[in-house]
Formats: sequence, structure tokens, C-alpha cells
Amino acid sequence: MSAAKETGLHPVQSYLPSADTMARRRRLRYLADTAAAWTVRAGGGGVVVALALIFVYLFSEVVPMFRGASVERTNQFAAPSAADGDDPVLALERYDTIGMRHSADGRLSYFMLEDGRLLEQVQMAVPDGVTIESMAFGEPRSRRVAYGLSDGTAIVVDHETRLEFNDGERSVLPDPAFPLGPTPVTVDDEGRALASLAVQRDRNGDTGLAAQTEDGRLLFVHFETITSFLTGESEVKRQAWTVPSPPGALRELQLTSNLWSLIGVGDDGQLMYWDIANPGSAVLRDLASAVEGDERVTELKMLNGTFSMVVGTSEGRLSQWFLVRDERATAGDNIFSLARVRDFDRHPGAITRIQPEYTRKGFAVVDDAGGLGLHYGTSARTLYLEQVSDVPLRAVGISPVDDQIIVEDDTGTITRFDVWNKHPETSLKALWGKVWYEGRQDPEYVWQASSGSDSFEPKYSMVPLTIGTLKAAFFAMLFAMPLAIAGAIYTAYFMAPKLRGYVKPTIEVMEALPTVILGFLAGLWLAPFLENHIPAVFTVLVGLPLSFLLVAWGFSRLPQSLRLAVPPGWEAAILLPVIALVVWGLVSLSPLIEVWFFDGSMRQWFTDIGITYDQRNALVVGIAMGFAVIPTIFSIAEDAVFTVPRHLTQGSLALGATPWQTVTRVVLLTASPGIFSAVMIGFGRAVGETMIVLMATGNSPVLNFNIFEGMRTLSANIAVELPETAVHSTHFRILFLAGLVLFVITFTVNTIAEVVRQRLRERYSSL
Amino acid sequence: MNDQATPASPVSSGMFDDNRQALEIAREKVSIEVRDLDLYYGTEQALKGVNLKIAHNRVTAFIGPSGCGKSTLLRCFNRMNDLIDICRIDGEILIDGKNIHARDVDVAEHRRRVGMVFQKPNPFPKSIFENVAYGLRLQGVNDRRKLAEVVERALRAAALWDEVKDRLNDNAFGLSGGQQQRLVIARAIAIEPEVILLDEPCSALDPISTAKVEELIADLKNDYTIVIVTHNMQQAARVSDFTAYMYMGEMIEFDDTARLFTNPRRKATEDYITGRYG
Repeated sequence: MSAAKETGLHPVQSYLPSADTMARRRRLRYLADTAAAWTVRAGGGGVVVALALIFVYLFSEVVPMFRGASVERTNQFAAPSAADGDDPVLALERYDTIGMRHSADGRLSYFMLEDGRLLEQVQMAVPDGVTIESMAFGEPRSRRVAYGLSDGTAIVVDHETRLEFNDGERSVLPDPAFPLGPTPVTVDDEGRALASLAVQRDRNGDTGLAAQTEDGRLLFVHFETITSFLTGESEVKRQAWTVPSPPGALRELQLTSNLWSLIGVGDDGQLMYWDIANPGSAVLRDLASAVEGDERVTELKMLNGTFSMVVGTSEGRLSQWFLVRDERATAGDNIFSLARVRDFDRHPGAITRIQPEYTRKGFAVVDDAGGLGLHYGTSARTLYLEQVSDVPLRAVGISPVDDQIIVEDDTGTITRFDVWNKHPETSLKALWGKVWYEGRQDPEYVWQASSGSDSFEPKYSMVPLTIGTLKAAFFAMLFAMPLAIAGAIYTAYFMAPKLRGYVKPTIEVMEALPTVILGFLAGLWLAPFLENHIPAVFTVLVGLPLSFLLVAWGFSRLPQSLRLAVPPGWEAAILLPVIALVVWGLVSLSPLIEVWFFDGSMRQWFTDIGITYDQRNALVVGIAMGFAVIPTIFSIAEDAVFTVPRHLTQGSLALGATPWQTVTRVVLLTASPGIFSAVMIGFGRAVGETMIVLMATGNSPVLNFNIFEGMRTLSANIAVELPETAVHSTHFRILFLAGLVLFVITFTVNTIAEVVRQRLRERYSSL
Repeated sequence: MNDQATPASPVSSGMFDDNRQALEIAREKVSIEVRDLDLYYGTEQALKGVNLKIAHNRVTAFIGPSGCGKSTLLRCFNRMNDLIDICRIDGEILIDGKNIHARDVDVAEHRRRVGMVFQKPNPFPKSIFENVAYGLRLQGVNDRRKLAEVVERALRAAALWDEVKDRLNDNAFGLSGGQQQRLVIARAIAIEPEVILLDEPCSALDPISTAKVEELIADLKNDYTIVIVTHNMQQAARVSDFTAYMYMGEMIEFDDTARLFTNPRRKATEDYITGRYG
């Protein structure tokens, strides 16, 4: 402490530290000041950076979906047992070590993919003097190939492989199988050559063969393999039918894997569809031309699942077709017709081979100009299309895991490619546009991401989810906005300060209510309750405001002494018992109304007049989520109204305005920036809300605005599906896209809110 | 407007005008009469037995130290104190002989007749035009032509027309403080009040704006009864015909302005106006 010093007239003890101490402390103070400034800056910057990183992360997960396929040549070798004019079938096994090749002269070769070394070759047991006239392969998964012979018989072979482990070393070994026996089975009892052939294995493992004989007859043969569980011996049961003949020779023939439909295409490009579900009375159901002018169809193959087929033409055109339930058919009739669904990018040369993928709706295509293309059905995408060879290509094989492709050219050279083609299912059109899915009557917006079957076509339309999100938010806002804003105005402007002191914190505490509880109540109590009291929904909606008006009118008629007994600003409290009474009364009246007007059940009545009523619906969500957003909107709006300067309201009142005129003409105007941002923040919250919609919407991704139907929102969809999707699968990335969309919606809404708020504030500033 | 407008008083205003003659409140037509007014904020008494007569079409000033109740008294005249829950009033206030607390008095209509201008300019967040038209719109007048006529007349009366006539649709916040205050006065006179209450109208203004507002007050008193609360004794002396000195909620002295400032009857008044107060 410095010594006392003389100040003015009085000697005073100075408590200031010495000059040195002060200088030292001053430095410390500046240090602390600078540190604080930087901490604040770092904190603020950190928030922005974190947000940006989330965005970047979401984006990086989403972007690979929109990449095309990349194809990289790895090696080249001569095809085993290749011959000029051969028309081979190529296949790969799951570990991409062995390739399989069926040649037109009846040899099945297994070869190493890395160098083309032949591992094993099987010669089909073709009798002397008999030639192979046609070949067919079934669904790639079945690995089934059939050879049609000149004596009306056929040989069916599966190019299977088996795994063997020696000392932890995996080796893949050839394991060809003859499901109908190694010797030819009879297809045509008349013994005429099989000019074209189709083969398919059905769900029971039975084999269906369809063939057109050289004299134009169309045959369908069903081989049922019955294995005796006592002896283990299997016996093949054959059944054959004649199908109405096509007008001319068929170029390609295909069977669906349920063996119910037969598709053929003639040289003239006429697609034909036979209904052979009941083979005894098979009929030619539909005909459609797949070409224009003198174009010819050169290739017809069925995609995975055999619901749709791809037609390739001499002009390099590719189109996808499938069977659509005929609109003319009466309900319950399974009458289908052919529909051209979509077209793909055109190849430079005539299509020589279409090879479907094993588990997806994609296919590889080669043409006689040396072009290789990778296309995808659902998304109508052409992921890759380039010339990979100078000579025409005649066959292509795809790995079961879609990461390798081999092509064979007319000189018998096989070229192997590494393929990255992980997300062909998505395109902007597939995500946001109407897509014609297999088996559907029209293009639609559908979300159905998974199913138990390999042949399932995933339906990734974001539209139902986005609309569902907006629908849920819309009904929540419809419920919350009037209540919250009107409540805010009343609380801030008319309510007695003491009552306000109770009301405001109470409503704000509601915000802390875990939404899972709201969702739980909504799903398990409110939804069934509303379902049983539908008339009450309507009567309360009308009755409650009416009763308010009635009470207000009655109150104004009361003698003044009684009226003055209610302190000003406490009038709202009178309404509490009224609300309870009216709601209780109308709810108990509800069953009676149902009996009087709706034959006992309003829900049934809805169904009768054609309105769908789901128990968990937008009404339930609107109320429950409305409750969740009311505190948000109320709190911000109340602050905005409450902070309208008194001198403005007094100025208005002093000009002879009634309180209501003051509210509508001055207070709301001045508070509009705050009220607007309250609504926007509430909306943002409703859009992002998860638990309530998860529990109370029913989660059915339907696309409508019916208040009595449910929906699935983006957020609930992520919550439901993310735990069960494979990491980095297309589905996984689409869920990230859903997150990104959600992020973008809330970001946009909040940005608009902020910009508008700033604008409004600018206009109403300098208060 | 006021059709009982009396010819301009021969009295010029100005504290140092030696020729100034004393006015007699007793000879004036009474516009506002306050009888035994007690006002309580909760348990605290803010006005104590105030009796006062305010002359028609004259300027009456209330002066006194902060917290003496002069603003409170002013706010009683257009019942702005009704907005304060804990405020309770005993006694009577008559305007044109009618008790303003009578049951059949409509508060909103009463406030239209008794306009008020506040300490801080309080234009609404609207255009200049809409600010002035506000009171008429409240009364259901929406005819654009009629509104335009009234807005022009009011702005001219408030000596603001020439400054804003080219930007009537601009936001009122773009005006300077003094312009805003005159706009607020224009807004008040647009609805043809009988009385205009001014609560320290110049305390937030610079000297030039103050001079303009004071000039305006001198003009307006031909048509309106004006009551002004001010901290500024020179201002009271300059603009008012009568002055009331209040202290601690009591009316200490009320007299013709010239006499009160030159020859106060009470010692307390003299102390205050000569600056020996406090």
C-alpha cells in the first residue's frame, strides 16, 4: 500500500495499489481481456465450423450416389474353346476368381479370371448326329443354362461352383450340375429341332422349359424334381403342353420365374405375351411392337426377378417393358398386358447381348460396335457407355457382386474389367420424380426401401417422406399457431401481470417435456381416444369458441358489481372451468351423436363415404406435435408482443383507439418480426421433430393431405430405417440424403425467417 | 374543428414583455375543471386534493420538480391512468361540465376528444401519411380522398407539411426528432380534439426543434385548449397563459403566467422559479 497522500484539503488514505502493481495487473487484465475475446471468437467460429462440417459430412455421404459407374480394364486373354461365330454365355462366381463360359457347341468351361487358364471343361452329352440349335439362360442367380438340340431334346446344366477351405485358404472349385440329368430330356414329342429356347428355375427348384420348334410350334414343358426323403433318390416328373403358336419364327423366348408368363419376340420386332399360368389353356394375351421402321429386335432378356424385360434392337436402342395389370380387366382377374416403361441411352451398334445383374435391376449390354454399357432399370440411368473394343462384342458376364465384368469379342478374346457401380438405383428422377415400378399400373411416388426378397425393386422416392414431413408440420402448425399466437397476445397484452407470472413460466416449462412422452401419449392414448370420439373433434372445434363467445356475452350482461369482482386481466381464468365443462360435455355427447347421425360409428361412416381413417393420423400428430411447438412459438411471440414499447400502445390509446384496435393496428405490426420468427422457429422444430411423429403417425409413407391418414416423415424414416441398413449401401446413403433434405429445409426456413425478421426489424427499428 | 375559436388573444407571450397584462382565470371560459382530486398508486398518494380550472383555448402549463405529480394530473385528463391497475382516483374531473368518469363516458371516444402528446416522439411504424390518418381510420374513415385532405390539413396545422409533402409514404422513423414530435401533434389534431395534452413535448428535442414546437403551440391555442407539462420554466413562461406550480402532489399556486413568474404569491413558488429550490 502506498503511503497516505495529501489530496486537496484532507489527508486521505489511498487504497490503490502501487504504480508497479497496477502496471503488472493492467497487463494481466489485458491478457484476460484478449483471452476472453479469443475464446468467444473461437466458440462462435467453432459453432459455424461444426455446422459446416455436418453439412460437408452429409454431403460427402450423399455425393457418391450420383456418380456414374467407373470401369477399368484389368486383363485380357483368349477365351477357352472359342470358335468363330460362337455365341457364348459368360458368367462369374461370387469371389471373382473363376469365370464360366458356355459355348454354342456345348462345352462348359471353367477358367481362371486372372490369366484365362482352363480349369475344367464339360462337354454336353449331345448324341451323335445331333446338333445344338439354341441356348438359353435363366435368371443369373439360378446359374441355369439350357441347350436346345436338333432332335427336340434339351440339356439343362447349372454352372455351379463350390468352396473348399484348406488351412484357412479359400479355393473356389468348379462344380457343374445337371438338375435334369446329364442326358438330354425330351421337349418336343415330335422330335423336331428346338429353334429357340427359354429356361427358368422356379421357387420350388423345378425347371420350366419353353421352346419353339423349327416348324413353328410353341411348347412348354415343366420338370418337377421330386426327391424321396426315404431313399434320397430323385425322380423327375415331366409335363408338357402346347401353347398357341406365334405368327412367325421367334428370335428370343423368355419365361418368368413363376412359370406363369412366356414372352417372345419375333424377327419383325413384335413382342408377344402368353399367359401360361394355366398351361392347359394357355393364351396369347398381348402383342406390341418394340421397334420402328425396319429396325429389328436383336436381344430380349429378363431383369432380376423376371418382372421386366429389356429389349435391344439393331439400332442400338434399349427399352424396358413389363406386364401391367390390364385396366379393362375386372378386379381379381389377373389379366396383364405389355407396357413399354422406359428407354435407355442408345448404343452405337446393334445390341448383341444383355446380361442382367444378379440382385439388382441393372444390366450390362454389349453391341457390335464394341460398346459396353451399364444401365439401370428403376432409375433409368445409363451409368457407363463407352467403346471398349475395336471388334464387335458378342457376350458379357457380370459378377454376382457387381464389381467385375468380362466381355468377349468376335475374335474370342475375353477382357476383364473392374467395376465400381455401387449406387445405380438413384437419380434425381428416381428420388423426386414419378417412377413406374415393376408391377405397378402407373408411375408413382413410392417409398419402400427394403423387402425380404432378392428380386425386390427398392422404391426410393423422397416425395412421400418430404410431403409427409410438411404435412405433419402443417397440421401441427394449424393447431399450434392460432393457440400460441393468440395466447401470446392475450398474455402479453391483456393479462394481469400476476396471472402472467404464472402462465408464462408454466407454458415455457412445457417445452422441457420430453417429446417421447408426448409421442407415447399421442400414440397410445390420444389416437384410440380420438378414434372413439370422432364427433367430439368436430363439436369441440365449433363448440369451444362458441362457448367462449357465449361466456363473454353473458359476462358483459352481468351486473357491474359482479363483473368488478373479477380483477382486470383475470377474465381468462373464468374460462378454465368453461373449457373443462364444454369439452367434457361434448366428449360424453359424442357416442350419442354417433348413434343418432352415423349409425353408431363415425369411423365406419367415414369408410362408407370413401374417406380413409387411420387410427394414427395427421390429426393426432397435429395435436401432439402442436403441443410440442406451442411453447416455442408462445414464448418467442409473447416476448415480441410484450416488448412492444408502451409509448406506442399508449400513443394509440391516446388517439382514441380501443385496446383491440391498438393490438391489431400497432402491437401486431410492431411485434411482427418477433411473431414471424416465432412461427418459423416453431415450424423448423415441427419439421425436425422425430419422437412424436415416430410414435403417432403410423409411419406409413403415403402421399396425401388427408387429415385422417398418417404419414412418414424424413426424421422418423431415418430413425426407423438407419439401424437396419447396411453401411454405405444405397439405402444408407439415401437416409443421409433424407437428413440432408431435412437440414436444408430447416436451414432454408430459418434463413428466410432471419432475413425477413431483419427486414421487418429494420422497418420497425429506432423504437 | 373547434368552432368556438376565440379571436387571438391580444396578449403576446414572452416572459420579459413589460406590457404584458394579467389575465384573470375567473373571466375565462372553463374547459377542464378539477375538483378535490386525490390519486393513489397503491397505497401511495400521488395527488392530494387538487382543484384547478383550465381555460378554454388557452395554454396552461404545469411546472414543478420531478415526481410532483404534474404528469400524473395531465394523464388524468384523458384517463390514461386507467391503464395502471393500481391507480385509484377520488374526486371529479369535468370537461365542458361533464364528469369524465361518468358511467356513460366511452373511454376511447373521450381520448379522441382529449388528445395527448408524449415526452418522447412515438410515431407508429407506418408511413407519415398513415400515422396522421391513424385516428381517422380508427373511426372507420377509409376514403383515401378524405384521408388525404385531413392529413394535409393536420400536417399544415402542425407546420410540417412543407417538409414532408413529397415523402408522405416514407416511414415516419426517417424524420428527425423534432419533425416526429410535430408529426405526433399532427396526428393528434387530425381527429379534431377539443383539448391537447402535451407531456414535456420538448424534453427530447434540440433547441431549434423546441423553438418550432413552441411556435406551433402558440398557433394551436387559437383552436384548442392546451395543457403542457414542462420542466423548463422559460418554456412555460414563453408559451403559456396560465401556469400551475405543483409540489409533492399538491397544487401550490395557479395563476396567470406573467404574474406567477413575476410576482408569485407563495414562497415555495418563488424559491422554485428563482432556482433556490432543492
